[in-house]
Amino acid sequence: MGFSTDSRARFNLAQVSVLLLEETSLGMSILVQILNGFGARKIHRCDTVEKAEKVVQETDLDLLIIDAMGRSGAGYDFVRWLRRSGIRPNCYVPVILTAAHTPASAIARARDCGAHILMAKPLTPRAMLDRIVWVARAGRRFVECDSYAGPDRRFKVSDLPAGVAVGRRREDGVSVPG
Amino acid sequence: MSDSARIHTPDIPLGRLIRMPGGKNVGQALDDAEKGLQSLRGESMKELQRVLEKAGDYYSRAEGKFNPLLVNAFYDLINGAIGLPTVGKDRAIDSMLVSLADLLDYYRTSGEWGDKSVQVHLSTFQLLLRTEGARDPEGTAAILSGLQKVSRKAARG
Repeated sequence: MGFSTDSRARFNLAQVSVLLLEETSLGMSILVQILNGFGARKIHRCDTVEKAEKVVQETDLDLLIIDAMGRSGAGYDFVRWLRRSGIRPNCYVPVILTAAHTPASAIARARDCGAHILMAKPLTPRAMLDRIVWVARAGRRFVECDSYAGPDRRFKVSDLPAGVAVGRRREDGVSVPG
Repeated sequence: MSDSARIHTPDIPLGRLIRMPGGKNVGQALDDAEKGLQSLRGESMKELQRVLEKAGDYYSRAEGKFNPLLVNAFYDLINGAIGLPTVGKDRAIDSMLVSLADLLDYYRTSGEWGDKSVQVHLSTFQLLLRTEGARDPEGTAAILSGLQKVSRKAARG
């Protein structure tokens, strides 16, 4: 990741339908200013989980930026609900989770609720753009099982443990770029 | 035995959409976003002042003792403010807020209270708000480093 401010690469968010879930009005204004600056025009602003659920049920979305919502963790619960909702295509859409204070427990919760990535506040435009481009990459697998629904949490591809000749997964022992 | 899992690769239109013709170049987009954030600076600083006053109120009401309701409210207040100072490019206040959130999170889960540790954070908050735009970078870095040591020391017990 990492964009240079003099990069001439172009990107187009004008047709991207984005849902924002952020309970404070200043926090919402920060997100909207960043996305407007990027050229996003279809922004659905929600300050409660109920409003966000309604948008998910009624509108096709391309990106969700969801705040964890402090101690209550309602943001994590919303993402878990989204992944289990069966509302296609929204249940598979990339989710960027934002959080202010991020102890280790918050990071584990973000990973396990089904978000694509967790961004710690303060949010900066450069960091936000990096994450949007990153989650937009095609090819990330989706896992659905009893205990988890969301993007594949496995990033690391390492060799088989000592003494093991054959791995359980098809790609074990195979180098995967990136 | 592990439960059965369905692994698939759903179609994600986001990548195709952001590559459509038109749009902005990265430099322009970042500039425009920064300008938009600058427009929120006044509101952000006003909110930080309110947070400082409320934090002082919580500190006074604690009277030097652990109070679970107060500590939770105090933590929520500080947690909610993280990110606002960076709107005005003030990373120092954000660093202080994160350090104070670390400290309060430790207190609310341990049941302890460190009056002086909280007080030094609030004094720093006040100082940073008052000297916004006119600080010595090295001095500020030293203060923030000291605050982080206070938080870590409290967590070690």
